[in-house]
Amino acid sequence: MRIRCPYCGERDNGEFSYLGDAAPVRPDGMDASSEAMHDYVYLRDNRAGEIRELWYHAAGCRSWLVVTRDTRTHAITDVQPAREVAKTRRAETRLAETRTVTPAGSASHA
Amino acid sequence: MAEIATLWRPRGAWDLYAQIGRHGRRDGPAGLIVAPREGLALASITAADGAGDGLAEAIRARFGLSLPEPGAALFSGETGLVWSGPDQWLALAPARGDLDGLGAALQNLAAVADQSDGRAVLRLSGPDARRVLEKGVSVDLHPRAFAAGRTAVTAVAHIGVQLWQRDDRPTYELAVARSFAGSLWSWLEEAAAEFGCEVRASA
Amino acid sequence: MLDRTPTFPLPVREAEQAGPPQPFRTASGGLIDRRRARDFTFDGRQLTGYHGDTLASALLANGVRLVGRSFKYHRPRGLLSAGSEEPNALVELRTGARREPNTRATMAELYEGLEATSQNRWPSLAVDALSVNALLSPVFAAGFYYKTFMWPAALWEKLYEPMIRRAAGLGRAANAPDPDTYEHAHVHCDVLVIGGGPAGLSAALAAGRSGARVVLVDEDFRLGGRLLAERREIDGLSGSDWAAQAVAELESLPEVRLLPRTTLFGVYDHGAYGAVERVSDHLAVPAAHAPRQRLWRIVAKRAVLAAGAIERPHIFGGNDRPGVMLAGAVRTYLNRYGVLPGAHPAVFTSSDDGWRTVADIAAAGGRVAAVVDSRPDVPVALRRMAEAAGAQVVAGGQVIGTRGHLALSGIEVRDAYGSTLRIPCDTLAMANGWNPVVHLDSHLSRRPVWEEAIHAFVPGQLPTGMVAAGAASGRLTLADALESGARLGAEAAESCGFAAETAGTPRTDPESTAHTPLWRVAKPRGKAFVDFQNDVAASDVELAHREGFRAVELLKRYTTLGMATDQGKTSNLAGLSIMAELTGQNIPSVGTTVFRPPFTPVAIGAFAGHHRGKEFRASRHVPSHAWCLENNAQFLETGLWLRPAYFPRAGETDWLQTVVREVETVRSRVGLCDVSTFGKIDIQGRDALTFIERVCANPFGTLKVGRSRYALLLREDGFVLDDGTVSRLAETHFVMTASTANAAKVMQHLEFCRQWLWPELDVQMVSVSEQWAQYAVAGPRARDVLRKIVDPQHDLSNEAFPFLGAAEITVGGGIPARLFRISFSGELAYEIAVPAGYGDAAWRAILQAGLPYGICPYGAEALSVMRIEKGHAAGAEINGQTTARDLALGGMLAKKKDYIGRVMKERPALTDPERPILVGFRPVDPSQRLRAGAHFLALGAEPSLTADEGYMTSVAFSPSLRHWIGLGLIRRGNERHGERVRAYDPVRGGDVEVEICNAAFVDPAGERMHG
Repeated sequence: MRIRCPYCGERDNGEFSYLGDAAPVRPDGMDASSEAMHDYVYLRDNRAGEIRELWYHAAGCRSWLVVTRDTRTHAITDVQPAREVAKTRRAETRLAETRTVTPAGSASHA
Repeated sequence: MAEIATLWRPRGAWDLYAQIGRHGRRDGPAGLIVAPREGLALASITAADGAGDGLAEAIRARFGLSLPEPGAALFSGETGLVWSGPDQWLALAPARGDLDGLGAALQNLAAVADQSDGRAVLRLSGPDARRVLEKGVSVDLHPRAFAAGRTAVTAVAHIGVQLWQRDDRPTYELAVARSFAGSLWSWLEEAAAEFGCEVRASA
Repeated sequence: MLDRTPTFPLPVREAEQAGPPQPFRTASGGLIDRRRARDFTFDGRQLTGYHGDTLASALLANGVRLVGRSFKYHRPRGLLSAGSEEPNALVELRTGARREPNTRATMAELYEGLEATSQNRWPSLAVDALSVNALLSPVFAAGFYYKTFMWPAALWEKLYEPMIRRAAGLGRAANAPDPDTYEHAHVHCDVLVIGGGPAGLSAALAAGRSGARVVLVDEDFRLGGRLLAERREIDGLSGSDWAAQAVAELESLPEVRLLPRTTLFGVYDHGAYGAVERVSDHLAVPAAHAPRQRLWRIVAKRAVLAAGAIERPHIFGGNDRPGVMLAGAVRTYLNRYGVLPGAHPAVFTSSDDGWRTVADIAAAGGRVAAVVDSRPDVPVALRRMAEAAGAQVVAGGQVIGTRGHLALSGIEVRDAYGSTLRIPCDTLAMANGWNPVVHLDSHLSRRPVWEEAIHAFVPGQLPTGMVAAGAASGRLTLADALESGARLGAEAAESCGFAAETAGTPRTDPESTAHTPLWRVAKPRGKAFVDFQNDVAASDVELAHREGFRAVELLKRYTTLGMATDQGKTSNLAGLSIMAELTGQNIPSVGTTVFRPPFTPVAIGAFAGHHRGKEFRASRHVPSHAWCLENNAQFLETGLWLRPAYFPRAGETDWLQTVVREVETVRSRVGLCDVSTFGKIDIQGRDALTFIERVCANPFGTLKVGRSRYALLLREDGFVLDDGTVSRLAETHFVMTASTANAAKVMQHLEFCRQWLWPELDVQMVSVSEQWAQYAVAGPRARDVLRKIVDPQHDLSNEAFPFLGAAEITVGGGIPARLFRISFSGELAYEIAVPAGYGDAAWRAILQAGLPYGICPYGAEALSVMRIEKGHAAGAEINGQTTARDLALGGMLAKKKDYIGRVMKERPALTDPERPILVGFRPVDPSQRLRAGAHFLALGAEPSLTADEGYMTSVAFSPSLRHWIGLGLIRRGNERHGERVRAYDPVRGGDVEVEICNAAFVDPAGERMHG
C-alpha cells in the first residue's frame, strides 16, 4: 500500500502505523460519563466501504493523518493532517453549540 | 578541576564505525565517497502556534533564508534550514556553538532544541551515490523527483533518517539519530561495497 | 537458422565445439554459444552443455530425461516444460552451504561446474524404493491424509509424520549458514513492463521512446520470451534477432532499466510491486561484493502486464511419463537451445499451433513418428507437411495411454473409429491451448474472467493502473502481441504525461490460433495426471466430486490440486474443467481459486536482505559504548538498545558476583550508570503545562521551575502506559522522560494527544533523547564526585539542590549540561546529562573523579536489582495489564483534573479489591531462590486456576539483605503483610514458601535519597 502524506508525498505503508476509525470523539472534561468513554474507547462500526481512519507517519514527519480508505478495495481517496481536521471539527462543534444556544437565548428574551 | 578538564573533548558520532580509507571494491574510482560531518551545530526549530510571519522574519534576520516549505532545504554556504515536519525545521551551521542563542532569538515564536549531538550526519557523493541510497531509501531519488534543495524524512534499513540533497552532482547529506550510527554504517558499507567506497576525514 | 541436414540424431561434434558429444544437440542453431562448453554434473554424472543452456536443456541434450520422482507416488518424472511453470524437474542445486533444494531445472542457468542432484528418491533416481507407493496409489488418493492417519493420535508425531516427511520430501536445505549476501533495492518508474516477450518489448519501446521512466522485468536471463522459442519473422527479421534489436534500443534509452533474471512475484496496492533479481544464481559463486539475489520494491504509476501464457497439458493415462512434454517446450528446446528432445517424437495436438512443432522438427532435419490431432478435420497442407516429416497422421484421435518405464517408449492412440493404435516414440509433444498468466493480476483478490473465444481465463478487472497486453490478455497471436504491447505501452506513457508516438505495427508471418480444447481424454489407460507436482490425478477430482467436495476451494484443499510450489500453473484449469464436466456446469461457473504472491518461490534470504545475523535488526549504542567495549562490558538488549548489563572484573567468575559487587559499591560508596536509553521529550509552548496535566495521571500544577516529579501515564482504557519524570526547566519548558522500551510508543501517544485530541493547545514537542548522554551517579559519595565535575559556580548542597531538583548547569569548564536529583536506586543520586558528543568524555571524567571514592560503573542488571530492592515497578510490572492501583500507585492519582485514562480506570473490574496488587515477597527459608513467573497459592491449597492468587513479576538476589527478594501481584496484598503463601512454579519445579512484605526492602522511609 502507498499513502500520500500531505507533507511528505506518497510513501510506503511501512512508514506508517495504523490506529483505526477516526470517527469517535473523546469525551473531554470532568463530566465525561463512563458510558460515553466506553463507547469512545471500544465501540467501532467496522464498516465495509469508505472509512476515515487515523494513521501515524511514524518513519516520516510524525504527523497523525486522517486517511479516507475503502476497506473493500484499499482505495485511498483523501489524506488530511489530523491536527487540521481536529481543529476544524472543534470549530464546527463550537459553532453548532453557539447556534443551539442562540435561539434558546432569544426565546428567553421574548 | 584542571586535570579533569583536559579530558573534555567531544567524540565524533562516527568514530567507532567509519574507518578512513577505501572499502569494498578496490579497482577503479570509488563509486561512493563518504565524509562524516562532525562538529556541526544542529537545532530543531518548532514554530509556536500563530508565529507565522514573525518567525519567518526572525529566521530571515538570523539566517538570511526564508523558512523552507515542506520537503525543501535551503542553504547559504554551509548554513541552512531543512524542513523536518509540519512547522518544524532543522537548522544547520558549520561549527558547534554557531547556533547558540537561537532559542532566545526566537523566544515566543518557536521552541528551539539543540540537536548538535543528537544527529550523526554523513555527506555522500560520488558517481554511484544515488544507486547506493536506492538500496535503502524507498523515496524516489530520481532527478525528476528529487533534486538539490529537496529533503525527505524517511527510513533506511528500518532506521529513521533525514536526507537532503546539496547539489546536482549529486551530493547528499544524511542525518541519523546518533545511537543508530553503527547500524546505519554497517548497512552503508554493505550497500556501497560493489561500487567501492572511499571514506574521507571531512567534506 | 537451423541445420537442415537429414542426419538424425545428430551426434556430430564440430571442430570448434568444446567438450564431449551431446547426442541430442542439433548440429547448429539455437541461441547457445557452442564455443563455450560448460561441464556440470547430475547425480554425480559428468555431463557437458553450453553457455546459454539451462540445466534442463543441457540434460536433454545429453539424453537425460528422468530428472525426478513425484511427490507422493515416487513416479519417474521428466521435464514437462521449459519455463517457470515446471512442476516436475525440481532439483537440489550446488552443494554444502550453498545447497538449494527445489530449484527448477528449467530456470537454472548452466554454469561451469554446476552440481545438481535429483531429490525425493532413495537410493537412486532409477531405482527408487518408495516407488512402491505407486502400487498403493488407491490408498494415496485424495483425502488420504485426512482419512488415514487419524488413529491412534499418539502415532502421529512419532511415526506418521516422520514417515510422510521422508516419503514426500522436496529436497534438503543446506545445513550450514548461507555464505552469500542478499540485498534490497527500490526503483520508481512511470511504466513497469512485466515480461520481456514481444508484447513486453513493444510496450517498453513505445513507453521508453517517449522519455518515460520504464522498468522492464523478465524472469528469463535472455529477453525475448516466445520469440526465442519459435521460428517467427518480424519485419523480415527472425524473432530472436528482432528481440535482440529491441533490447539494444532499450539499452540505449537512458530512462529505461532492464531487469532480466528478475521475477515479479507480487502485485500490491497502489502501484507497489515486489520482484527478485537472481544477480548471481548463474554463477558458481557470486562475484566479490555482489549479492546472490536482490529484492526489488518497484513503485510504478502504470504497469503493462505482458507475462505471456502457459501451455496446457492433455489429461490422459500416463501423461507424466518422462518424455511427455508441452509442445511449446519442445519447440523451445529445439529452436532456442538446439536440442531435439527425442529421436522419435510424436505430437498430440488440439490446436493449430501444435503443428508448428512438426514443422520445426522437420526444419531441423528430424522425423516425426506421429501427429494425433483430437480434431477430426486436418487441413491438407498440414497433413502433407507432417507426412513429409515421416509422420503417421491420426485425425480425430486421442492419446489414451503411454508405454515405457523410466522413459516413454510408445503411445496408445484411440483413433476416430475407436480402434487402438500403438505407436512407438520417445517424446510426445502436447498442445492443448494456452492459459494467459492471470496470477499477477489476481494478487489483489481480483478474479479472472472466462473468455470463450480462447477457452481460457483472462484478466478480469485489473489492478488500478495496470493493463494487460499480448498473450497475458488473451490475445495469443504474435501480431496482436506486438500491436497491443506498443499501443498500451504508449498509452501508459501518455497517461504519465509523456508524448508517445505509435510507430506502425511490424509485419509478421501468418499464424493460426485455432483450437478446440480437449479437457480430458475419455477412458484413459492408467493414471491421468492433472497436477504433476502434487500427484493429483483426474480420478482424484472424480473422488472429490463423489464425496461432495465440489466447490472450487474445497476441491483444491481436499485433493491439494494447485497447492504445490508451482501453484497449479499447468493444472488449475484442467482440474476446474473436470469438475465442470462432472457437475454439468461450464468452467467459469465452477469458479477459480485465488492466486497469491509469490508468483514463484522466493528465497527467505532475499526478504531478509541485509537484516540477518547481528544485523537482524538495528542496534542502538549508548554514549559510553566505546568505553564499555574497551572494558569488557557485557551487554543486554532492551528494545533496540545494547545496554551494558554488567562490568565483570578480573577474578569474577559469574554474573551474579559482578552484579552483587556493583550493587554493594553503589549502596556503600558510589556508582556510575549509563541511563541515556531513556526517552527524553522536550515540551515547550504556552500550553505545555496544560498538556502535561492532561497526559499524566498525577498532578503537576504545583511543579516549580527547577524541580522534577515522577510522572505516571495511563492509556485511555485505564491501564498504565509508562512512567518517567517531568522536569520543569523554565515556565513553559519541560522535559519528560520515558522508559527505554516504551520511548517511541510514548512519543507517538503524546503526538496523538497533541495533534488529534487537543489541537487547540500551543505545544511544541521534539525528541531530545539522542542529544543528551545521561548518567546516573548514585551512592553516598555521589555529591562528592559530581562536585569535581560540575563547574564551581553551581551549588550542589542539599539545601541549594535538594531531592528532585532540576537545573541547567555547566561542566568541565562551560559545557552545557543538565542535572536532575532523581534516584532509581534509592541512594543519594543524580542524573547528569551532557551533550552526547561529550558523553564519552563525561563518562571517563566521572570515573576518574570518582577514583578516590571507590566508584565503579554499574549496568542494567545492578540497576534492576536496586529498583527491586526499592520496590519500584518497571517493565515486568508495567506490562499493559496493570493499573495504577495494581502498582500501589493509586494514591498519587489526581482528583481534580481530567487526564487520559481517568474515567476508564474506575471500571468495576479494575477497582475490585480482590484484584492483585503489588507487594514484596521474601523466602521464609532465606537460602531459597525465587523465580519470576511463579504463581501464588494459599498454603495447603491445590494448584488450580481458582486457587491462583497472583504471580511473581520480578526477582533478584538482594546483596543488601543477602537473600532473594521478589515483587509480585497478589490479591489484597496490601492488607496481608506478614502472611505466608506458596510461590508455585511447576514449569521449573519451584515451590517456595514466601512471606508477603513491604515492596521497599531497602530504606523504606527513603531517607538516603533525600540526604
